[in-house]
Amino acid sequence: MALKKENIRNFCIIAHIDHGKSTLADRLIEMTGQVSQRDLKDQLLDSMDLERERGITIKLTPVRMYYTAKDGKEYVFNLIDTPGHVDFSYEVSRSLAACEGAILVVDSSQGVEAQTLANVYLAVDNDLEVMPVLNKIDLPSARCDEVATEIEEVIGIDASRAPRISAKSGINIEEVLEGIVEQLPPPVSCDDAPLKALIFDSYYDNFKGVICFVRVMEGVVRPGMKIRTFMSDKTFDVVEVGVFSPDLLPQKELTSGEVGYVTASIKSVEDTQVGDTITTVENPTCEPCPGYQKALPMVFSGVYPLDGSKFNDLKEALLKLKLNDAALTFEPENSTALGFGFRCGFLGLLHMEIIQQRIEREFDLEIITTAPSVSYKVYLTDGTMLEVENPSRLPDMSGVDYMEEPIICANIYSPPEYVGAIMDLCQEKRGVMRDMTYLDQKRVKLNYKLPLNEIVFDFFDGLKSRTRGYASFDYEIEGYERSELVKLDMYLNGDPCDALAIIVHKDKAYARGRAIAERLKEVIPRQMFEIPIQAAIGGKIIARETVKALRKDVLAKCYGGDITRKKKLLEKQKEGKKKMRKLGTVEIPSEAFMSILKIDSDN
Amino acid sequence: MAGIYIHIPFCAQKCTYCDFASYPREIGKCEAYFAVMYKEIKYRAKTLKDKVFDTVYFGGGTPSFVNEKFIYGAMKLISQEFKIKPNAEITLELNPGTITEEKVKLYKKAGINRFSVGLQCADDGMLQRLNRIHTTDDFVSAMKLLDGENVSVDIMIGLENQTKDQIEKSIRLANDLGASHISLYSLKAEEGTIMYSKYLNGDLPSEDEVADFYDFSVKLLSTLGFSRYEVSNFCKDGKFSRHNLNYWLRGEYIGFGVSASSFIDERRFTNTSKIDEYIHLLLNDKYPEIFSENIEGDERKFEFIMLALRTTRGIVFSEYEERFGEKFMVRFSDRVKMLMPYLEIYEDCIKIKDEYLYVQNNIIIQFMD
Repeated sequence: MALKKENIRNFCIIAHIDHGKSTLADRLIEMTGQVSQRDLKDQLLDSMDLERERGITIKLTPVRMYYTAKDGKEYVFNLIDTPGHVDFSYEVSRSLAACEGAILVVDSSQGVEAQTLANVYLAVDNDLEVMPVLNKIDLPSARCDEVATEIEEVIGIDASRAPRISAKSGINIEEVLEGIVEQLPPPVSCDDAPLKALIFDSYYDNFKGVICFVRVMEGVVRPGMKIRTFMSDKTFDVVEVGVFSPDLLPQKELTSGEVGYVTASIKSVEDTQVGDTITTVENPTCEPCPGYQKALPMVFSGVYPLDGSKFNDLKEALLKLKLNDAALTFEPENSTALGFGFRCGFLGLLHMEIIQQRIEREFDLEIITTAPSVSYKVYLTDGTMLEVENPSRLPDMSGVDYMEEPIICANIYSPPEYVGAIMDLCQEKRGVMRDMTYLDQKRVKLNYKLPLNEIVFDFFDGLKSRTRGYASFDYEIEGYERSELVKLDMYLNGDPCDALAIIVHKDKAYARGRAIAERLKEVIPRQMFEIPIQAAIGGKIIARETVKALRKDVLAKCYGGDITRKKKLLEKQKEGKKKMRKLGTVEIPSEAFMSILKIDSDN
Repeated sequence: MAGIYIHIPFCAQKCTYCDFASYPREIGKCEAYFAVMYKEIKYRAKTLKDKVFDTVYFGGGTPSFVNEKFIYGAMKLISQEFKIKPNAEITLELNPGTITEEKVKLYKKAGINRFSVGLQCADDGMLQRLNRIHTTDDFVSAMKLLDGENVSVDIMIGLENQTKDQIEKSIRLANDLGASHISLYSLKAEEGTIMYSKYLNGDLPSEDEVADFYDFSVKLLSTLGFSRYEVSNFCKDGKFSRHNLNYWLRGEYIGFGVSASSFIDERRFTNTSKIDEYIHLLLNDKYPEIFSENIEGDERKFEFIMLALRTTRGIVFSEYEERFGEKFMVRFSDRVKMLMPYLEIYEDCIKIKDEYLYVQNNIIIQFMD
C-alpha cells in the first residue's frame, strides 16, 4: 500500500500518572481494530509485569493503527508511548522527537498536574502540536470547563476543541481519533534525501538480534541496505524492516515520516543507543538527528548474590538485562564483607530498583544491594584524577588533594503549603535555592541546586512524607563541584565492613555516622556475643552502639513429647539464618546494607 | 527406656496462657472419652506386646480434675495390657485446687508414685489473673496431703509484673513443703491465648528480664540443693523425671488421648486435638492419629543432638556411637570447632556451657543440615 505522507500521524500521549494514558491508548487500539477485545490485556502497552504492577511505563512500545476518518480517507497512526519517570526523561525526549504531535490527557477532576507540565514543556520544546483531551468526564467530580480554562491558563494552549471523553467507559473516543486527524500535523515528506532515521528505543530479541525502533526522518530504509550508526559508528546490513501492529509486521520498506523497526543482526543494544541516528554507508546524510546523549549511569551500587556460589548466575542475569538496557553498566568487584559481586551503574534510583527486582524475579536470584553511591572525582596530589564509584575504593586521604561531587539542577513542584517543608528538606540536603515561581495559585516550582549524593540518600522518601505525596520532582545533572567529602567507615565487632562504607559531606558525617550506627543496632539481631558497632572517619571513632548478647532463645518445655513442633520451630529459625550474611563472626541480615539509607525517614 | 503418656483434656477452667488441649466445658464427655481411650489403649497394646515400659505419665488438662476412678481404671487397664517394669515411675499432674485425701488414696492404690503439682506462682493475685482455680493455701494443703511422696512442682517465670521476690517465695515454698523436683517454665505467649494479647500490648517482661529471672532462679535452686539436669528441670537427690528424661534421650513413648504424641520404631505420630473427632474416630474403630512422620537418616542424628543438648548431661559419645555407628566428634568436627566458645568437651561427652544453656537454639540449629 502506497502511503501518503499526509495520511500519517505520529504522536505520543502525555499524562500524569493515573490520568488514564494507558487506558486511552488501549481504547484507541481497540477502536481501530488492531487487537481484538479477546487479546486485549489491560494496559496493553506496558508489557513487562513490573510495569503493569506499578502502573509505570519503562520500555517504549510503539503501535501502528489504521483509521478511516469521517473524510473517508484511511489514516495511519503511530502511537509512541513514553516512559513516565524522571530517570528516563532522556528517553521521553527522544520519543517526542520521533513525533509531530502529542495528546495531553488531563483528568477532568484533578486538573493539570506538575509532572504533566514538565513533559508538555518538553513536547513544546520539540515543536510538537499538543492536543488536550479531558478524561474521566463521567466522574461526579469532573469539572471540565474549569479544567479546560486551567489548561489554557497554565499551559497556554487552546483547549476549546479538546475532546471530552471517558477512556474507561469508552465515551467520545471517536472525537479523539478525529482530533488526531484534524489537529495533529502529518510528517514532512522527503523520501529522496539520504537516509536519516532516529533510534528512539531498541530491545534484544533472541532470534533477530537487536530490534531498533526508528523514526525515519528523511530517505528510505529497506532490507539489504548497508547502514551505519552515527555515534557508535558501526555498520550493519539491514535484514528486515517493518511496523508495529503491535507485533512486528515486516514491510518492504520504511519511508520518511514512518515509524517502524529495523533489524540488522546487531548483537548488542549498546551499538544502537537511544538517540543515535542511522544512515546509509553509500549515501550518508551529513547531519545526524540532534540531541544525542549517551545514557550515563549516575547512581552506583554493589550487587552481590546472597548465596556466594551464585556469582556466575548473577553475571548471566546482568548480561541478559544489559542486552536490553544500554544504560545499565556493571563490572566485577570484590568486597571483603560480601565476596564477589558487581558494581552496577544506573540512571537513577527507580532504574536501580527496577533492575534489582528484575534480577530477583526474572532470574530467581536473591541479591544483596549496597547503599547507592554516586561517582566522585578524586584529584590526587600527584595531579591525577580518579573516578570513584565505590566508597571503599577511595584512596588514602593523605594522597588526596581535593574531591568533586556531581551536582544536579532540580525542579520541585508542589502546592504552596508545603514550600516551607521542602525548603527545610533541601536545606538539610545541602541544597541552594535558585528560583521559586508560582505556576498558578495552587502550584509552585522550586528550582534547587543539590548534590546528587544527597538525593540518593533518602531524598524521595523525605520529600514524599513531608509533602504528603503532593510534591513531584525532576532533575538533570549539571556537573561536578568541589566539596569537602570524607569517607565514613563502619566497624562491626571491631572489623571494618567495606560494604557499609559511604562517602559523605564533612559536616554531615557525625550525624550520619550516629544515625547509621543506631539503625544497624536495630536491624542486626542479637547474637551469642555482644557486637560493638562503630562509625569512624579516618580511623577516629565518632559513634558507637552495641548489640547486646542474646540471653534467651530456648524453646518452652518439650510438652508431652511433641518434638515435631519443636523441630519445625528450629527449622524456621535456621531458614531465617540463611538470609543472613556472615561478616567474620557477625551475622547481618541482607537488608541491613540498604537500611542504612532509611535513617532520615524517622525524622 | 520407653514411656506411656495419657492425656486428660479436662479442666475446671482455662488458664490465660494455656494453649494445650484442654476443654473446660466438655467434662460431660468424660465418660465417653475414657471409654474410647480404653479402646485406643487396647488397639495399640496389640502391636506393642514386646515392649517394656519404664514410666507412665498422666498429663493434661488437669488429670486430678476428673473423677479419680477414671485414673484408677486407666492405670489398671495399662497394667493389664502392657509390660510395666516393677519399679516404674508413674506420674500424675495435679492441680492444688482439685485435690482431696480420698483422691490421693485412690491414686496411690492405682500405683501413682510421683505427683507433679502446678503451683506456677505463690501469689494469690497473680494466680487469679492467670485464671488458676487455686490459691497458695490450696497448694500448702495439697502438699501436706502428699507428704512423703515424690513430688515435683511447676513454677512459671515471665509473668506479668512478676518480681524476683515472688519467684523466690514460690521456689522456697515448694522446697519447704518437700518438693524434690522443680520444673521452671518461662511463659510463652501462644497465639490464640488471652496471654497473647498481653504480650502484644507489651505487658509481659522482656526477654532480658526473663533471662534475669532465670539466672536468679537457677542460683537460688542451687543454694537449696537442686541441680539443673535439663534447661527447665531441677531436682534433688537424683529425683529427676524419668519420663521426661526419656524424651530427651530420644527414647520411645506411646501417647493416648487427644493431642498425644508418640514415637515408636522411628515413627513420630500425633493424635487429633479435637475431642469430638477423637471420640468419633475410635468409635469407628480408627486410630485417632492425624499426623505421622518416619524419621530417617541424618534427621535421627539431629533429633538426638537437639534433645541431648537440652540436658546438662549433654551428648554421651558412647550412646551416639552405639546408635549411629560413627564417632560424634568426627562427624561434627566442623560444627564443634565453630561452636567451641559455647561448648564444654569432656572425654566421654560434650555439652553446652551452663551460661549458654538458655540460648541453646542458636547452637542447636548449627547441627541442622
